[in-house]
Amino acid sequence: MIGLEIHCQLTNLNSKLFCPCKANYRGFEINENICPICIGLPGSMPRLNQEAVKKATIIAMALNCSTPEKIAFFRKNYFYPDLPKNFQITQLNIYGDTSVGGTGSVMVGDKKINITRIQLEEDPGRLIYEGSSSKNQITLVDYNRAGTPLVEIVTEPDFETPKEVRDFLNILSDILENLGVADPSLEGAMRADANVSIKGGKKVEIKNIGSFHDLEKAVHFEITRQESLHSREIEIIQETRHWDDKRKITVSSRSKEEELDYRYFLEGDIPWVIIDPATKTKLISEMPESIVSKKERYVSKYHIPAQVADVLSSDKYYSDLFEDSHTESNAKEIANIITTDLMGLVDTREKREASKLTPHHLKDLADSIQSSKLSRNSSKNALHEILKTGKDLSIIIKELDLGNVSDESELSGIITQVISEEAQAVEQTRSNPQTINYLVGKVMQKTKGKADPTLTLNLLKKQIGI
Amino acid sequence: MNLKISALDYIQEVKIGNISAEDFVAKTLEQIHNEDDKLHAFLSVNEKAVDQARDIDKKIKSGEKVGDCFGMPISIKDNLCIKDSKTTCASKMLENFIAPYDATVIRKLKQQDAIFVGKVNMDEFAMGLTTEFSAFGPSKNPWNNDCVPGGSSGGSAVSVSAFECVASLGSDTGGSVRNPASFCSAVGFKPTYGLISRFGLISYANSIEQIGPLTRTVKDTAFMLNMISGIDPNDNTTIDNKNEDYLSGIDSGIEGKKIGIIKEMIGEGIDPAVLSATKDAISKLESLGAICEEISLDMVKYSVAAYYTITATEAGSNLARYDNIRYGYDFPLEGYEFNSYISKARRNFGPEVTRRMIIGGFVPSSGQAGKYFLKALKVKSKLTNEINDAFKRFDLLLSPTVPVLPFKLGEKIDDPVSLFLVDINTVTANLTEKPAISVPFAISNGLPIGIQLMADTLQDKQLLQAAYALEQTVRLPEVPL
Amino acid sequence: MVTEEELEHVSKLMRIDVDDHKEFIEKVHAMIDYFDILDSAGVESEEISMPEISLSNLRKDEYIPFDDKLIEKLNHYKGTYVRAPKMSS
Repeated sequence: MIGLEIHCQLTNLNSKLFCPCKANYRGFEINENICPICIGLPGSMPRLNQEAVKKATIIAMALNCSTPEKIAFFRKNYFYPDLPKNFQITQLNIYGDTSVGGTGSVMVGDKKINITRIQLEEDPGRLIYEGSSSKNQITLVDYNRAGTPLVEIVTEPDFETPKEVRDFLNILSDILENLGVADPSLEGAMRADANVSIKGGKKVEIKNIGSFHDLEKAVHFEITRQESLHSREIEIIQETRHWDDKRKITVSSRSKEEELDYRYFLEGDIPWVIIDPATKTKLISEMPESIVSKKERYVSKYHIPAQVADVLSSDKYYSDLFEDSHTESNAKEIANIITTDLMGLVDTREKREASKLTPHHLKDLADSIQSSKLSRNSSKNALHEILKTGKDLSIIIKELDLGNVSDESELSGIITQVISEEAQAVEQTRSNPQTINYLVGKVMQKTKGKADPTLTLNLLKKQIGI
Repeated sequence: MNLKISALDYIQEVKIGNISAEDFVAKTLEQIHNEDDKLHAFLSVNEKAVDQARDIDKKIKSGEKVGDCFGMPISIKDNLCIKDSKTTCASKMLENFIAPYDATVIRKLKQQDAIFVGKVNMDEFAMGLTTEFSAFGPSKNPWNNDCVPGGSSGGSAVSVSAFECVASLGSDTGGSVRNPASFCSAVGFKPTYGLISRFGLISYANSIEQIGPLTRTVKDTAFMLNMISGIDPNDNTTIDNKNEDYLSGIDSGIEGKKIGIIKEMIGEGIDPAVLSATKDAISKLESLGAICEEISLDMVKYSVAAYYTITATEAGSNLARYDNIRYGYDFPLEGYEFNSYISKARRNFGPEVTRRMIIGGFVPSSGQAGKYFLKALKVKSKLTNEINDAFKRFDLLLSPTVPVLPFKLGEKIDDPVSLFLVDINTVTANLTEKPAISVPFAISNGLPIGIQLMADTLQDKQLLQAAYALEQTVRLPEVPL
Repeated sequence: MVTEEELEHVSKLMRIDVDDHKEFIEKVHAMIDYFDILDSAGVESEEISMPEISLSNLRKDEYIPFDDKLIEKLNHYKGTYVRAPKMSS
């Protein structure tokens, strides 16, 4: 049995959870993105970010969780150098359901994964250990991340295999990205703890898993480890282990859990926040269309094949491009361009960021293909150039000479030439009609693939007289 | 130059040009230099105060707009942050801490051209009621130097009553403004929770504490409240008081007002002199047309235990940040492991703070929370209900501020539990979020006695009107400096 | 009744080494014993209440950098890192 605690940074917010420092701390000098509040200076007080509460509520709603009328914040007290106040402001349900999301569920294929709770909390700072031996080891702290809004999603121990974990994580990151609350591709934006136990064994908690990719590996490693112990009749003890992401193994943490007592109590500097029904209704109305509903729409309205619709709807980047470029008539063509041509070209975050493609480009491409101004073949070249330069399709067609030769007189001239050069083949077409394709190929050769194929075929037939 | 005038008189005199801010502030600094060796109200003095006063005089002369404080010299408890100044909380732990920002109350007072003459003494991190727990030595009661000035805002009360400033800001977690005000014969006010922003006040027990003024007159307190109250985006617990003017109508009187006398606050352990002063206050108020009647509040006898349980819990958490890593005192970390380093570094807390933090680790811990912390929160709730019921019948509640007279330095310092009971009359207002004020009322054998009035939530203005009426019934002798 | 061991455990949890051990324990003991009075308050059925704020009164999501180079006012090390003691592994 596997249960997950997933930490997702709300990277799309402008400011931190309790102060106006930047939520996305990446790209700052060390300890540049700090202020008296997130560094916990004496006299500072948390100033809760209303948008963070809204975004967390939307996540809860999207995961079918209950959302309470009032949410409360608690202090989790423990000493650690990445915690500037030596307590973390987080949420709990000790005085009723006061965390931002209550129980909910997500379907992973046919399996229902139950959500226990969703809570909004602050991310700690980042620790860097220097020095090789324990004697000369020093700890360096960068607080730029401290106070970044973090949503923790706690699941029931409903997973049975690492694959289920992976499928769930894929669905979850697609949902979070589709909601526009987070960018799961940013390093450290998604982290997790996992509880793993096998039949007859105690629960083992694995902490500190820095990416979803490693989470699956960690779970797999831990199950194998526990099964190996079990088969040798060695007792599996209840413990906390850390994921060592260099060695890709779980390691027992020597810090004694019994020395921790978090002394949870209400954070007096933050009153209980009322989220009234009208606010909830408004949040629901502002929520982006869900992936499932998008997919259904693509299939039923535009007759896009289910598999294509699946790819298109689950990746926010592609579905945003599609939504902003398609019309009733070109939808299928655009879906086609995105899923066959574009996907290979923008498969990383860097490539997407560097791309100069706009929805307008896609619309032009699809329209040009549909009106036979551009062959599918040439459209690939054009797309490549658009990504690099961002120039208008019409300019690229001119510059690279990609446009279809659809001028009848021009094409007729070329065809006359081909007929005279290929007399034998022309003769054969009368006994074997398939030979005409050979002639079309010859025309294509001469036009570097730009001849409008339908027009070429018609003109050939006409000139040969078949 | 008369330093003994009220804040409002000071403003009036400067306005009409009878005195200059520079002269008054210079004279105030002289007074500090003369008196403070003996009284030890100040932890640091603002040497630029006279220059700042001169600038304000210039503004006045040139007809520029001048803030409502007109260079009034104010002292500030050393748990309030003034940008680029030392803010020590009277602790060795923060001996070198320089605040990089202004507390909201400081920002507001700066905008109104107040001058901060210095930071004043307190019990370390505001935990105490005698100022003896200051890491930098106790303050002395100006009425009798052998006696404690009360606390934790002892330096504030001493500086006001010894004319080392015209007004002061303290903080009140369980009586820390009202108690020293009572012991030093000053006015001390704890507003409705949320009336004054706490942003920049170094937290001790943030769910119940408030900043409050200490002044020589009730009117001055109303004036100070006008300067510093109001909603603040930096403090989510502040409430909108719609820019209430607390000074207007302060002389409305108390005729027909119903005043409840809290039975549990004049009972066992009360000093006879304090009891007789209280009775005197009641009869004076009755002669002004108030209707006084005794009332019993059952939860008061549990209030001190609840108070210490809640405050210790919050303090244990609020003071956790003092690990000497980001700021603090000079104590090299080479060779130490994290936990052993901070455990050693945190030895720089004084004995009372250490005791309360240990209690603060114990009472909310997983095995004990049900017995202590949760019960304390429930007592707080029930006490609030009792008080709210009381305010359905009464406009005001009255008691002595402190059941005993100022006692000798060292007399109770070794007996924490006997100190608990000195708080019995003041903690209720904090636990129930109500406004409360201590008004100087009597001098008995050369020692001051204050009377406490309490009002319902956001009835701060009505409270000040009653306090003013009570203040007008007595003429007290001058402090024997 | 609080035991000495419990208090020693708590002082470890709170990360404070204690001097004058015996006297210290005695005083803390006396203080905690006083809290036993809470047992007779009869408040078990009371609800705990807290002040409230509406969502719209919370801070707007705006990035405003702090106006000072704050790190220069804190202890810093190796450029602009904060240094902590080594962690027990």
